[in-house]
Amino acid sequence: MPLSLYYFLSITAVNILMSWALYVPYRVTQLHFITIANMMISGYLAGYLVLHAHVPFVWALLIGFAVGGIIGFIVSLFIGDAPTFSVVIVGFTSIYITRTLVENLPIIGGTMGMFGLPNIGGNPVAHRWIILCILYGLVILCGFLIYRFDHSSIGRAASAVFVDKELASSLGIDIKKLGMLLQTFSCMLAGGVGVLYGFIYRSFHLDFFSFALIGVFMTVLFVGGYSTQWGPLITAPILYGLPLFFPPEIQSWRIVIYGLLLILVLELKPEGFITRKFVHSLGLSFSQKRGKEIYIKEDRQ
Amino acid sequence: MKRLVAALLLIIAAVSFGFSQTKVVVDEWKIPFLNCLTGPIAAIGEFLQWGANYAANEINAAGGIAGKPVRVIPVDTGNDPQKGSVEMARIVKDSLVAMGPVPEPVILAAMPIAVENQMMSITATTSYEYAVQFFPWTVSWFPPTLDRLPPLVAGWAKQFSDLKQVVQFIEPYGPWPGMADAHSKALTSLNIKELKAIEVPTDAVTFGPLVVRALDQKPDGIILVCNAEKAAKIIKELKSRGWTKMNHILVFSSADDAQLYSTGGADLNGVQVYNYLNLEVSNPRWDKFKAAFAKDHNGQMPFSLSPNYYDALYMIKEAIEKTGVTGDPKKLKEERKKIADYCANVKGFKGLLYEWDMKDGVPTNKPSYIFEIQNGVKQFVLEVRP
Amino acid sequence: MQVFIAQILNGLSIGSVYMLLATAFNLLLLVAMIIHFSYPQVVVFCMYIIWLVLKITNNNVFFGILAGVSSAILFNIVSAPLFQKIMKNREEVDINATMVLSMAIGWIITDVLSHAFNNGLPIQFPEEITGSKPLFRVGLISILPGQVLALTIGIIVVAGFFLLLYKTKTGRAFRAIAEDPAGAKLVGIPLVKTGFQSYALSGALGGLTAVLLIMLFHSASPGLGEQVSHKVLAVSIVAGLGNLVGGLVVGLALGILEALVQGYISGNWSNAIAFVVMLVVILVKPRGLFGVKI
Repeated sequence: MPLSLYYFLSITAVNILMSWALYVPYRVTQLHFITIANMMISGYLAGYLVLHAHVPFVWALLIGFAVGGIIGFIVSLFIGDAPTFSVVIVGFTSIYITRTLVENLPIIGGTMGMFGLPNIGGNPVAHRWIILCILYGLVILCGFLIYRFDHSSIGRAASAVFVDKELASSLGIDIKKLGMLLQTFSCMLAGGVGVLYGFIYRSFHLDFFSFALIGVFMTVLFVGGYSTQWGPLITAPILYGLPLFFPPEIQSWRIVIYGLLLILVLELKPEGFITRKFVHSLGLSFSQKRGKEIYIKEDRQ
Repeated sequence: MKRLVAALLLIIAAVSFGFSQTKVVVDEWKIPFLNCLTGPIAAIGEFLQWGANYAANEINAAGGIAGKPVRVIPVDTGNDPQKGSVEMARIVKDSLVAMGPVPEPVILAAMPIAVENQMMSITATTSYEYAVQFFPWTVSWFPPTLDRLPPLVAGWAKQFSDLKQVVQFIEPYGPWPGMADAHSKALTSLNIKELKAIEVPTDAVTFGPLVVRALDQKPDGIILVCNAEKAAKIIKELKSRGWTKMNHILVFSSADDAQLYSTGGADLNGVQVYNYLNLEVSNPRWDKFKAAFAKDHNGQMPFSLSPNYYDALYMIKEAIEKTGVTGDPKKLKEERKKIADYCANVKGFKGLLYEWDMKDGVPTNKPSYIFEIQNGVKQFVLEVRP
Repeated sequence: MQVFIAQILNGLSIGSVYMLLATAFNLLLLVAMIIHFSYPQVVVFCMYIIWLVLKITNNNVFFGILAGVSSAILFNIVSAPLFQKIMKNREEVDINATMVLSMAIGWIITDVLSHAFNNGLPIQFPEEITGSKPLFRVGLISILPGQVLALTIGIIVVAGFFLLLYKTKTGRAFRAIAEDPAGAKLVGIPLVKTGFQSYALSGALGGLTAVLLIMLFHSASPGLGEQVSHKVLAVSIVAGLGNLVGGLVVGLALGILEALVQGYISGNWSNAIAFVVMLVVILVKPRGLFGVKI
């Protein structure tokens, strides 16, 4: 596989997964930026375990998921049903604290970063295939889980909370428990993705997990559509891949282009390109077409 | 007679084969340069790009590399490791050699790709401690920090007999804390007491509390290990709180860039700085470079890293010509190795300002300097050679 | 003791920055129901306009200030419809959509500044506008004119806007349009004229803030707005969204906290400690210390 394709696919998968990690709590209107801190914590921890404690990568990855989940659960005990603003502040706080911790811990590389992570599978080619398989396996698994969630009673409860919190509460929906569930899942996912993110580069640096990442994931989520999981899935490769084809003179303005695109989408299609209605109508037309085919087949028979 | 003819034919064949071996097959040498042309250090990226482009124009005016023109292809990675890795992955497919990346997060993300594909990418702005991770597929432009910096700081400190205790302002970024440790080594060797270091937060916008804390310790000297803009603001703050011995302030090399001067202005007068670029040196190439830089940058003089990629491109030129690289895609792997091996142990490389040698990827005899800033111009104080 | 006083004064100086930006942020929230996460970037943009005009007019301070205030008003008026369109069908402030929109505006501003002004290098302001000579200096204690002006004007502005918005008919009209345009129209408030006035007012404050920041910092860089925007948002949320007095108190308190942490504990940990304190406050009082006012 061409290297550039590998990096494109792997970074796209990371962007999809992290946008979903934001999407899930946003179903109850919470912007859960703590996921960036989770990426950092689990990533550095896994890197340390593999590099210095010689823990097999699989275990390190699972520990990354677990640590992310535990942190998410503990934090959600306090902010499971908190207003959006509080959740945003928790996110910023956690990012600042984590960055400061990492800067001051020479054991994980401090400000220099952690490099020289080994190739999983023993050689670069095997490493890349393993990472890609895990990433896209995770995309499929999370995609399935989120799909099931969206089409379950919990998903409907989340939709109710999104529309009107008070009404949802009066209908008996336990907002706190729902928030806790979604935040824990989101943090767990972010933890695992953080591990994989570092292993794509085989190094970790503070600037891999900057505030700018929030911008990237939010753009993918909001441009793609924050009301369904399909939006990030479709937007992530386009938003990441398209600027790579721009000529250098245009590429240097890509941040401005991203910003303008985001503004345009928010103005003209505030729910993003892929909305619930769009997905529903697509599903409907497919089933109608399918219905016609069955009808014609039966007729012929 | 037959033997003579056979021998002659053999010689002719060998010579022809030799010629065909060294015959350049490219129409143009394309050298990608992964650089930071957008983002927080875009201004520095522009200076580096300018140096590389200037070198390319100069080389082409003099006949190119092995008779073929060279083109530096700018590849903007911003400060984005994601972009850096994708761009490097694209470049390693068929590039002979590359320059960059800049800065450290992108180096960390992208250089393993160059290493894996055994392609040299010259990282001419980072410290030895970063570059050494990727040997032999890059070279370090600087000797190890612990060897390089102590003599400089010692040179600075020895100027002042009243320098008994020094405080460092240290920003936690990349190799800078390591550089501060190297400064400490020098101070310790001179029995100068190092006071409690002042940590400079990366997003600090005002520096009053930090300066008060530093001055409360009653230092005789101050070393600034933070980015250029912060260094300038700290100096202004020091002045506003009564600091007068400006030459007892030493700014480290990474802060010696255009941002220092544009922010500090006349408040920098008297401050000393250490670096590798001596504007007072005069030679035809360097004088032309300075004049051209000033013309394109509103009279501004080149800052410390400006010639690095100028020199890097010339080093690549020398490597290609001296090792007989042809640019033949079929010999890509072998020719990449030739270039890397040559650069790692080049002898008497004629850089823009001075000649130096490389031993196993590390420069062995590059000079460093201490300057004093007066009206935005660095005046030579001291040269330090390893 | 001298050091402690010096640090408190430093803290008030830092706090003035947060207070000014939080006030401008809250004002925009009160008159237009916009959570402009990147308002600090807009203010930095105005600082650059002032710098440009000072260069062109040979450091004419009057024209510089006029240009700064005008550019802020113009920016507000031009960007207002973008936010309004999103808010059209919402009944209350939608932090998410307006926050994302303002983030996008912030990115654009930062990138344009780093491309198009002074080759992306920081800009320095002349002595005529910065007043860099200390008014008072004893030992480590130093008070610059900009610090005094920023704090004094900031307090006056907060008091003034508080009175305007809560004690005058015009202020009530501004708030009515922000909260319920249809209702405001019904009671006879001229929407266009009053809306324009409200944006102009918040723009004027933005421009004034830019001038005061110039006097505090003496320089600016493209990334300056980003560096403070998280804290400004945090200050506003901890104080209580839309709470002008709260923003003043919390802004100054945060400044003092930061100064004391940097001065006595550690520079590296100042952000983390400041945010932890704010986090604890938010967890205990989710609607802010002084209550939400929107």
